[in-house]
Amino acid sequence: METALHSKEIRKDNPVLRKILRVIIWILLIALAAFTLIPFVWMISSSLKLDREVFAFPMRWIPETFHWENYSLIWQRVPLLTYFKNTAFIAIVVTILQTLTSSFAAYAFAKLNFRGRDALFLCYIGTIAVPWQAYMLPQFIMMRSMGLYDTLWAMVVLQAFSAFGVFLMRQFYRSIPTELCEAARLDGLSEYGIWARIMLPLSKAAIATLVIFTFVNTWNDYMGPMIYLTRDVNKTVQVGLRRFIQENSSDYHLIMAASLCSLVPVSIVFLCLQRYFIEGIATSGLKG
Amino acid sequence: MKKMLSVLLAAIMMISLLAVPALAEDAKVLTVVTWDATTTPYLVAQKEAFEASHPGVTIEYVDVASQDYAVKTTTMLEGGDTSDVFMVKEIDNLINWQAQGFAAPLKDFDKDYDYSGFKGTEVNYAVDGVQYAIPFRSDFWVLFYNKDLFDAAGVEYPTNDMTWDAYAELAKKLTDKEKGVYGTHYHTWLSAVVNWAVCDGVNTLADKNYDDLLYFYKLYQDLEDAGACMSYADLKASGLHYSAAFANGNIAMLPMGYWYVSTLIGYNKDGTCNFNWGIVAVPHADGVAAGSSFGNLTGAMINEKSEQKELAWEYISWLGGEEGAAATASVGARPAWVSENVATVMSSVEGFPADENSKAALLPSAVAMEWPVAEKVSDIKTIVNEEHSLIMAREVTPEEGIEEMNERVAELFE
Amino acid sequence: MSQAEARKVRYKMGKLERKNTLIAYSFLAPNFIGFAVFTLVPVICAIALSLFEWNGGDISKLKFVGLDNYATIFATKKVAEKGLGYFFDRADLGIALKNTVFYTIVTVPLTIACALILALLLNKIRGAVFFRTVFFFPYVSSMVAICVCWSFMLMKDGPVNQMIMALGINFNRGWTADSTMAIWSIILVSVWRNMGYYMVLYLAALQGIPRELTEAATVDGANKWQQFLHVTLPQLKPTTFFVSVMMVISCFKIYDVVAIMTDGGPGRSTKMLVTYIYDEAFVKVRYGQASAISMVLLVIVLLVTIIQFGSEKKFSND
Repeated sequence: METALHSKEIRKDNPVLRKILRVIIWILLIALAAFTLIPFVWMISSSLKLDREVFAFPMRWIPETFHWENYSLIWQRVPLLTYFKNTAFIAIVVTILQTLTSSFAAYAFAKLNFRGRDALFLCYIGTIAVPWQAYMLPQFIMMRSMGLYDTLWAMVVLQAFSAFGVFLMRQFYRSIPTELCEAARLDGLSEYGIWARIMLPLSKAAIATLVIFTFVNTWNDYMGPMIYLTRDVNKTVQVGLRRFIQENSSDYHLIMAASLCSLVPVSIVFLCLQRYFIEGIATSGLKG
Repeated sequence: MKKMLSVLLAAIMMISLLAVPALAEDAKVLTVVTWDATTTPYLVAQKEAFEASHPGVTIEYVDVASQDYAVKTTTMLEGGDTSDVFMVKEIDNLINWQAQGFAAPLKDFDKDYDYSGFKGTEVNYAVDGVQYAIPFRSDFWVLFYNKDLFDAAGVEYPTNDMTWDAYAELAKKLTDKEKGVYGTHYHTWLSAVVNWAVCDGVNTLADKNYDDLLYFYKLYQDLEDAGACMSYADLKASGLHYSAAFANGNIAMLPMGYWYVSTLIGYNKDGTCNFNWGIVAVPHADGVAAGSSFGNLTGAMINEKSEQKELAWEYISWLGGEEGAAATASVGARPAWVSENVATVMSSVEGFPADENSKAALLPSAVAMEWPVAEKVSDIKTIVNEEHSLIMAREVTPEEGIEEMNERVAELFE
Repeated sequence: MSQAEARKVRYKMGKLERKNTLIAYSFLAPNFIGFAVFTLVPVICAIALSLFEWNGGDISKLKFVGLDNYATIFATKKVAEKGLGYFFDRADLGIALKNTVFYTIVTVPLTIACALILALLLNKIRGAVFFRTVFFFPYVSSMVAICVCWSFMLMKDGPVNQMIMALGINFNRGWTADSTMAIWSIILVSVWRNMGYYMVLYLAALQGIPRELTEAATVDGANKWQQFLHVTLPQLKPTTFFVSVMMVISCFKIYDVVAIMTDGGPGRSTKMLVTYIYDEAFVKVRYGQASAISMVLLVIVLLVTIIQFGSEKKFSND
């Protein structure tokens, strides 16, 4: 808001004021970025300390000596690779299923008229509102009878058809002018054709958004895997991390090292997709 | 987009190939659901001893995080899990499981079973006269102390007969702010601070009147004000575990459950801490016999859905009995079965403090239950713990908090 | 689409309607089948469950109790006796409701403001990719790790208090151990974690604003502030709608942060609806009552959503 207020006095043709505004924006951004990153900096610095130094007062941001061995220690203590593999499997399958099915369904909700549309959509919205804890038990009993207990597929079906994806895609599709679809219909394109040739290419940015969000949510899900996955070979990163924290409740340096390791794969996916994300926005013509 | 998808698909296929679990089913595998299986020494010892005396049977632990134990096991049972044995962490877990029909009654098996070694504690696992689980561990609270700090301060060690007032004085005497030494340490739990009120064997935490906790809250606040112990607020925020706090070597005394003995022995072995320590009986209030303490049971029950209940009975009866008790005691944990033999095993564990007082502390004069089996006990627990946290964080005075406990618990029964 | 337009379309497509409905269902089917089996059916079961007393175990132990569960959680007897104040001051549900509503009312506008400011700043800047990554990062990092980290930072002598003291304010209490500050520490962590997520949504929306619109406004002589008020903000309405719906819902469902950082304490000062549900279901094993509380949550969120939808329709008509 503040910068917007500043811009009130600034006309386009005043290069000096413009530069000052730029500087203010940058200072603000850097300050906010610092605020955002502080916990991570603390995490990194503690992960390289001895456990006693983590609690030392006053706090040192840069450890006296760097204890890199903390990382090899946790690698020995936690089967991180198995956890990563399981979590990656779940996250990837869920992301693909979620993106495909929800963009499909969202098209119907956004651009097609059919009986019961609004009621059905309200059902979807309604279930977003119900906390998972509320229907966890009926769901669990059902999954169990399907033989999905303690399998990775339980986690897949649990999250692949969430109403959230449909809601998000519907919002994006609604911003695409209906005239485009009408024109395509007049040109003889079927609804499937419209979805594949017009909506899908136009919604690349939306899809990238959904992919990132789904992937991240699945990757960081804690409660689901905790309830459904029991054997160690099936555990995911979050459950593994929590176990590790509970077993080593005072080894804060190791906890921080393990937490940092658990962040790496998500960060990579995010950084990779982010480029695609921007590209998607640039090519889809959304930018104008 | 297409490239992206094909890469992703290839990745999935690879991963799904890797993720197919290899499950070897053996007819004589007994699955036992427990917590912290890899880090708890007595579970390892029990497994080894049982498998040695029962050739052809393998114990397979299903490991559940201790903090999530009640939730996770309830969901497992709810979903029809067929694991043979479930360990019982809190008595109310078993009471719930029994009500839900998950616990197999032991009356078909235990006709000739000798319960005498449990000294009557097994009734906590009985509902309407029918036994549903066998206890195998019984922990009571003792006072741990750091001998090196007492030596350095030139103060005599605590004894097995000490009042709470004497203890508080001792804690203040040992506190040395310059060296960062705390006289004592209270973990954040209700049990660590005020559960002492039940040691007289008359009071319980479910008797709807909490006035008797006042003395212990006052005692605590006095010590906190004097800087003789770390503040509750900090402990809560940092999540500092008592085991690490005491192992740091700057805490002179620690009232804690007996299970901490095996942890400390382990710490001494792997070098986590190097100081000498000992145990004595917890202090007692005026008019309560020295050596009175409170404690908790750990047991094992047979899953109603188990397909090998006989074998499961074989296991849990062994676990609770003399042989299982010896295995449990061999690593410093305290079995529920009490006998001369077991006491000898406990005190001769390598690393157990050698002094006479520590040995004597193994035999408390009376052990009350931390929480009784009572109507609505889980609701009462919630209320008392909520008010406890307010008192400890100094949001309310102890008097106000206790008043609130009395009122809210009374409302439960209206 | 206005109603007149819709009527026209419907008239045009009169004959095709049935065929279209079939096509629409074919679009919905893949998602809907999964959704129905794994979400809708369990939700309906949960609704039914709120009318039963059930402590788990055998289904045969289900006992129909009508509205008893609701009477219990609303403490109707006591309320009739002592007035509504009793409900909000002493009953678990009242306190959980109060806390959750307070948390939501503070968190939603605060997060939207932060997200919007960040998006506006980033929209005009080279190097936005770097900053966007930074601000988004908390959202992708694991809750468990973050909460442990923040609890430490909010300790009595932790870095946050050290900074506050440096500003000359005398505050030396541990945040999570103080019953007035505990909820604020949860708000802080939530805003910190989620602002990047909503910022990305706003960025996408900002970049979706047709340049012609802003250019036209400049030609008309509008300054930046006017441009922001009359062009940018209205264009952001659909996103703001989306963001606020999603946020209100997720705020009412707050669980993880509370469970890890304060566990509902001190006292009942951070007891939320979902922590209450969780407690009833898994600690006290009273599924019927837990489901009844879930229904309260469901009704509240649905009401909020319907109100917001209503206002969306009103806005999209102009």
